[in-house]
Amino acid sequence: MSSPPSASASSSPPPCPKKMITLRSSDGATFEIEETAALQSKTLENMIHENCASTLIPVPNITGEVLARVVEFCSKHAEAGVDDESLGAWDEEFVAVDHTTLFDYIRAANFLEIPTLLDLGCQTVADMIKGKTPDEIKKTFKITTACTPEEEEEVRGENQWAFE
Amino acid sequence: MASFKSIIQDVKDEIGNISRKGFDHVKFGYGLRSRSHRVVQDSSVVVDALKQSCWASMPPELLRDVLMRIEKSESTWPPRKNVVACAGVCRNWREIMKEIVKTPEVSGKLTFPISLKQPGPRDSLLQCYIKRNRSNQTYYLYLSLDQALNEDGKFLLAARKLRRPTCTDYIISLNPDDMSKGSSTYIGKLRSNFLGTKFTAFDAQPPSAGSRVMKSRSTRLVNFKQVSPKVPAGNYPAVHISYELNVLGSRGPRRMQCVLDAIPASSIEPGGVAPTQTEFMSSTLDTFPSFSFFRSKSTRVENLESGRPMSAPKDGMLVLKNKSPRWHEQLQCWCLNFHGRVTVASVKNFQLVASPEQGVAGTEHENVILQFGKVGKDVFTMDYQYPISAFQSFAICLSSFDTRIACE
Repeated sequence: MSSPPSASASSSPPPCPKKMITLRSSDGATFEIEETAALQSKTLENMIHENCASTLIPVPNITGEVLARVVEFCSKHAEAGVDDESLGAWDEEFVAVDHTTLFDYIRAANFLEIPTLLDLGCQTVADMIKGKTPDEIKKTFKITTACTPEEEEEVRGENQWAFE
Repeated sequence: MASFKSIIQDVKDEIGNISRKGFDHVKFGYGLRSRSHRVVQDSSVVVDALKQSCWASMPPELLRDVLMRIEKSESTWPPRKNVVACAGVCRNWREIMKEIVKTPEVSGKLTFPISLKQPGPRDSLLQCYIKRNRSNQTYYLYLSLDQALNEDGKFLLAARKLRRPTCTDYIISLNPDDMSKGSSTYIGKLRSNFLGTKFTAFDAQPPSAGSRVMKSRSTRLVNFKQVSPKVPAGNYPAVHISYELNVLGSRGPRRMQCVLDAIPASSIEPGGVAPTQTEFMSSTLDTFPSFSFFRSKSTRVENLESGRPMSAPKDGMLVLKNKSPRWHEQLQCWCLNFHGRVTVASVKNFQLVASPEQGVAGTEHENVILQFGKVGKDVFTMDYQYPISAFQSFAICLSSFDTRIACE
């Protein structure tokens, strides 16, 4: 996003370029992100302030695929002039992904400490859980822990009462 | 920073005692489901499959975040069933959810069935209603879902009347379709004497029942003492109710007294506490604490201060009496202010307040702990608060149906 050109473009200095940070994913892919967008991540914010000279930040436990999307998210949320409604719609689109990917976003948001993305991700998961029985939840999240017969009985009784 | 090693450890912790084989099955069962066509480098394929495919490896603080959101947003019934559903997914989810959910005393909300055995909210009445079904001699207790007196409620308990040669029993259960005493849904019963003047409510569990550590396989440190040997589901006296005519005989309102065996009189004083059951005990458990006190990191400590047995003679039991109605000269009847919650006059209607200290002459306590009254042909409201529970309240109200003292 550059500022509109002034009337006397030939004589005024060129607009300052936005400071870009380069992130490198676990699998070696690199992504550019504006510093203002990167600051939405508390982790990146700390790294930027600690390491002013270098603009290449390794992000070792996030893959390129996920990091690309995270960069997209932060950039979108750093954009000026986006109204709440359209941002909300954009966010909804963003999390309309399979569980695996959603979980990746949440893990990435947790590691990079991006409150907006973490909030969005966790709320999406919460909304996925609502309205499901314990068995349906287990299926959705592929939870296969064993239960004793007593535990099963207790849960069954509890849920029979709750869904009464 | 979650390294590969720590992720494995997290997964192991989460899954618990699932075998290595089982774990591998989990890992390979999903395959890779990449949303995009972008190339994922070969060297990271195995790592990604592990990290991406397994919700069970969600860091505990994130799982907790998700469960807290659900508990907060599903605050009323019927949506609150989602909180119960989450607690039924696996041990880990259960532990977290049970820790997040507060007792009715604190939150004013009923969540798990055990809430029905716990003291009601302090400072406000929990509004319920009872429906009587004369054809099958059954009474149904519901939580009111809105302020209006319409019949839209969450089912809580059912009681079925059983006439016996020398007494009457009301069997109280969590499941209206299963009213047998041997069932896991059996909560307790109310028994009347032959004359219908005295009643005893029995709890299937003792007052201090419940210890998270006995059911949970968690490795959190807890303090507990094993005191008693195996105790079967029994009958523990919880409330003693008696009815008498007042001095005006059957022309005046009857007098009611309830003695709560397990609730100390001090519970209603500033700083007082009442016992809080935390779990339903399965009769297959080997040990059972009857007079010990349990503290686990995940249980809110509501019991009496450590060291004192439940019904120490020094600290007397809580006694409730019905509030004296006042004679309304113009209307020519006895009146109690039910604040709109009771709309049909009936001798069954009552308000219970704490009885003044024995030997101390003083005015009646003002704070209504239990209120019961008719609003329709077979519909009655029941409002209760700390220190009594929904179960105790229901039992007391049932006695009001049954007693023949001063009936029209």
